[in-house]
Amino acid sequence: MSASTESGSPAGKTWKSKEEFLGCVTLTDWLLLVILFAVLLGSFHIHYMLLAGDWDFWIDFKDRRMWPTVTPIVAMCFAAAAQSFFWTRFRLPIGATTVVLALLVGEWINRYDNFWGWTFFPINLVFPSALIPMGFWLDIVLMISGSWLVTALLGGLGWGLLFYPINWPVLAQYHQATEIDGVLLTLADLIGFNYVRTGTPEYIRMVERGTLRTFGKDVVPVAAFFSGFISMLVYFLWWNVGKWFSTTKYLEIEEV
Amino acid sequence: MKSLNLQSMAKCATARVVRLWILGVVVAGALTTLPATPASAHGERSQQAFLRMRTLNWYDVKWSKTELNVNDEMELTGKVHVFSGWPQAVARPGESFLNVGEPGPVLIRKSAFVGEVPVPRTFSMDVGKDYEYKIVLKARRQGRYHVHVQINVKDGGPIVGPGQWITIKGDMKDFTNPVTLLEGSTIDLETYGITWTYIYHFFWMAAATAWILYWFMTKGIIVRYWQVKAGKGRELIGQDEKRIGAITLAAVLLAVLVFYAAANREFPRTLPMQAGLLTGISPIDEPRSTVAVQFKGGSYTVPGRELRIRAKVTNNGREPIRLGEFTSAGLRFLNPEVFTTRPDFPDYLLADRGLSVSDHNPIAPGETRDLEVIVQDARFDIERLSDLAYDTDSQFGGLLLFFSPSGERQRAEIGGPVIPKFQAGATL
Repeated sequence: MSASTESGSPAGKTWKSKEEFLGCVTLTDWLLLVILFAVLLGSFHIHYMLLAGDWDFWIDFKDRRMWPTVTPIVAMCFAAAAQSFFWTRFRLPIGATTVVLALLVGEWINRYDNFWGWTFFPINLVFPSALIPMGFWLDIVLMISGSWLVTALLGGLGWGLLFYPINWPVLAQYHQATEIDGVLLTLADLIGFNYVRTGTPEYIRMVERGTLRTFGKDVVPVAAFFSGFISMLVYFLWWNVGKWFSTTKYLEIEEV
Repeated sequence: MKSLNLQSMAKCATARVVRLWILGVVVAGALTTLPATPASAHGERSQQAFLRMRTLNWYDVKWSKTELNVNDEMELTGKVHVFSGWPQAVARPGESFLNVGEPGPVLIRKSAFVGEVPVPRTFSMDVGKDYEYKIVLKARRQGRYHVHVQINVKDGGPIVGPGQWITIKGDMKDFTNPVTLLEGSTIDLETYGITWTYIYHFFWMAAATAWILYWFMTKGIIVRYWQVKAGKGRELIGQDEKRIGAITLAAVLLAVLVFYAAANREFPRTLPMQAGLLTGISPIDEPRSTVAVQFKGGSYTVPGRELRIRAKVTNNGREPIRLGEFTSAGLRFLNPEVFTTRPDFPDYLLADRGLSVSDHNPIAPGETRDLEVIVQDARFDIERLSDLAYDTDSQFGGLLLFFSPSGERQRAEIGGPVIPKFQAGATL
């Protein structure tokens, strides 16, 4: 890591040497990175579990309509806020990628330790949704355009559109057909049926419920466009939420 | 100000703080990874008495085995009466799901039937009817577990039936769950697709980590902050950086396309998930009961744990009958005058001397008689049915089972309001 003192750093005044000053900056950078990552992991995880919840917990909730609609929209909140923080304060094009990585790390710890380790649900029932390529998309659109408006419009739409194709490489294998006692099921349905969840009855699932049938079997594109559209609006709002919270004014006291 | 901030941050980054921080991470890690003791009960006693007594009345519940090896199968069978006086406070069972109360999937559910109909999905039940069910379970994890039948009712919650201790021997690592796909191949659903799921997710997580570290390692956080603060933010993202971003984005989108196409090539025939309400399931097809019971009043003596029911019983059958059992909320109260041998049923739910009647003589065919039925046993209190006295709707419910000399059984539903008696020795 290179650190410049050209912008008027206090090296030579408080520190004994330039090396000591740079070492302090580097150490503080690492501490900041780890702390930020942990804070984003915890807060985004709670937010996402409360709003996406069962859609993300269980494979038999990952349908073609509700899951690709709800999940990107609720994930956009923290992605936009983190971009606002990392971009406006540091010009770092990593906000969205960092929060989705933090979320995924938290989710995998949760799914492996709690869902598998404590209650023995197989991982193929409880793996989380993949989001990382969406984070890349949002960050790089912001970096190239340099505009949060363009990112909201183009990035938000792509955020919604990319979600299902990103997850399909894992999901496809569980949408193969089987039958049990003469009833047609996908493997995803069957995993949910086989591995008993006492508190999660089948009727809780919202599998393609709704009245929109105009587009026949092409449910995903409609859901994805809708999700992308709402993600744009969510981006506008949460960019500003991130901006409001990206301040140190509450800490600016004489002692500090 | 800048200098002050950096000094204070440097002061914070002392060895002591770093040690404390590492300790915090270790404690957090330990808290999330330490093994937990499996739950042994499912809160059935915590459900309100009226809910358990006046919704679903379970009877003839049987567990085909109580000891299994991993991969062995057992059947959980029985019948359930949907109580006519279904409480207003609970949604009706128009959308219900046949479930199992157990601590995680220690046994997996291979199939489930209501009547002759397979019910991997939600189904509809009618109030006042009786249904027969069968659940085929396969032992998965070693241990001793309390296994209940359970029906979840939409907007009503789980209604837990009787439970039995099941012992599973062996080792979960030997468990398999073979499933045959429609295209003919057989897979082990226990592990199917998990390795690929890990690879795919951790590939993207590694890519994201590399992206974050690349930007972090170039100029860190604090230096970037100073430069942005100094109005030099534009210098941080120049043409070179944008070129790197564009190449990365192109690579990411290409990878998404390749993975997507590969999935479609490998799995050309996929279906959307299957869902929907199963309706028209037939209740148990058996002759109408020949016993008519009319509730005439009742009381519950709180200190004595005694439920007294006054009922007018009419025998419309061809044989004399005697009251042998009252069942409610999964508990069975037996009349020892009728049950001379103890049936095989979990002890904590079986009061084999818990029922008596004011008149032990059989009720002759065509006869109508007023009976006082006394249900008394500590289990009434242990299973928290005594809380009936504190419900907002203090009504009980259950099934009376009458027996003829030839062994024929007649069911009759009974229920209604009871008056609590808070002093021992009080009478109706």
